[in-house]
Amino acid sequence: MKRIIYILSLIALVLFSNAAYANDAKTDEAEKESLDVKEVIFHHLGDGYGWEVPFSHVYRIPLPVIVRAEDGKWFCFSSAKLTEVTVTEDEVTGKKHESLEPVIHEVEKDGKIYRFYIAHVSEHKNKVVEVFPLTAEEQKKAQADALALGAEKGEGAGHVVLPGYVLIGHDYYREYRTFDISITKNVLALFIAAILVTWMVMSVVRFYTRKGMKAPRKGMGFMEMLIDFIYTGVIKSSLGAKAGKFAPYLLTCFFFILTMNLLGLIVIFPGGANLTGNIAITLVLAVATFVITNVLGTKHYWKEIFWPDVPLFLKFPLPIMQMIEIFGIFTKPAALCVRLFANMMGGHMIVITLTLLIFIFAAFGAAALGASTVVSVLFTCFMLLLDVLVSFIQAYVFTLLSALFIAAAQEDGHHEKGHESVEA
Amino acid sequence: MELFTPDFGLVFWMFIAFIILFVVLAKWGWPVILKNMDERADTIDKGVEYAQQAKHQLDHAREEAQKYMEEAQAKQAEMLRDAAKMKTQIIEEAKQQASVEAQKVMDAAKVSIEQSRKEAELQFRNEVSKFSIEIAEKMVRNQMKDDAAQVKLVDKLLDEIENN
Repeated sequence: MKRIIYILSLIALVLFSNAAYANDAKTDEAEKESLDVKEVIFHHLGDGYGWEVPFSHVYRIPLPVIVRAEDGKWFCFSSAKLTEVTVTEDEVTGKKHESLEPVIHEVEKDGKIYRFYIAHVSEHKNKVVEVFPLTAEEQKKAQADALALGAEKGEGAGHVVLPGYVLIGHDYYREYRTFDISITKNVLALFIAAILVTWMVMSVVRFYTRKGMKAPRKGMGFMEMLIDFIYTGVIKSSLGAKAGKFAPYLLTCFFFILTMNLLGLIVIFPGGANLTGNIAITLVLAVATFVITNVLGTKHYWKEIFWPDVPLFLKFPLPIMQMIEIFGIFTKPAALCVRLFANMMGGHMIVITLTLLIFIFAAFGAAALGASTVVSVLFTCFMLLLDVLVSFIQAYVFTLLSALFIAAAQEDGHHEKGHESVEA
Repeated sequence: MELFTPDFGLVFWMFIAFIILFVVLAKWGWPVILKNMDERADTIDKGVEYAQQAKHQLDHAREEAQKYMEEAQAKQAEMLRDAAKMKTQIIEEAKQQASVEAQKVMDAAKVSIEQSRKEAELQFRNEVSKFSIEIAEKMVRNQMKDDAAQVKLVDKLLDEIENN
């Protein structure tokens, strides 16, 4: 019975994709031509000023943009003001086509007009920049420079990135990359993840304060199992008596990373933000581990760095070991940062690429489209499941390695020598 | 390469969010959970230990009861034996005592009989001597009725004294 359902759903998938293709084939000619795979992938992996709504290409949940202009004034406005939905009607079929176009948002403050724009053809692509109109002469000069630069690089006039300028329509504007602490999609996802983690942990706390010694069941039991898994399996086993001191940091790390990872895999709001696949996030986490490791490091730890137990010629007069050890201080958290970032970004990228295969193969006709749809969907599901596993493993690995680094810096040197610091 | 350059805004918010999350959870979250988990683990350990002990004790209790029972039976047997012994002993003692008493009584009887016999003897002697004196007096009176007899006797007695 189950097998029949599988087969039927596969057939439905093929037919449906073909039908969709047949419908869209005529109208989306222009869009199909401009399917820029790289652009789509990077858009999904990157940040955004609005949050996409499911099943819509143009409508976004507006989020607050907080920027500081060139002259030091702060501005806060909705990201919806930076974009506009333009509706173009196809002359032949009469079908309406909506697209999202960036527009200049003008704000008047203290008698001065400030203009903000989401740059596209600029050095600061997809960021909010403050733009300044050029005078006619400056415009001419900029155009000429752009032409020269375009000729040099062999690019068309409409796509030349002129440093310090942004192309809007056909005109160049001088740009200033604003000091930008907007609540972007990633920032909001971050807050959601933080609130979720707080809620999960606090619900367990509430359970304890209410029911005392009773064992939690179901979801609460799962939370407790995870906490116990990390606390006993990772923190206690590597830090021993000092487990209590570092457990809050490591547990927070684990649950925060896990939540962000899993939220990133949910396609629609409130998920879908590629958080841990963003190097800014992993950087902060790695820096936190770095700071805790080194600030709370024992005397013995620093002694091992500056005067390790090795033959004299390795540390004096040429400080070879010292150099290696100091280098190691930085590479360990850097590895943490890059590992988490690369794993999560890689996972997202593969899923997006597999999904995009459908659209790429669509160019080869209905049969190719049907086949590639089935294959893509199967592979995408598989990859997503794998990513769930990776989400857990990476959160675990980050916590485990952080615990080991901290443990290595907490050695007293009393017990014995030869306890090598653990390398990543 | 925008993927590899950290965005300042995100770093800023991540820093703030992470610090707040950490402070909140480190203050009100994890310590409570870890303490409770440890406590519960201890309680469960103690419970298991207690149960094991109880089972152990129960197993032992049966053995001990058996032992006590055997001991009690042994004691009972011993007591019975003792009682029997004591009974015979008591009877023996009683018998002995009775015989001793009887002997005493008999001895006393003998002594009293002897005494009464002696008294009787003494009395009898006194009586006999009294009778004999009376008889002798009577005989003497009879014999001494005439004066000749009396003179004769006095002579005879005087002879005897002279002979001596």
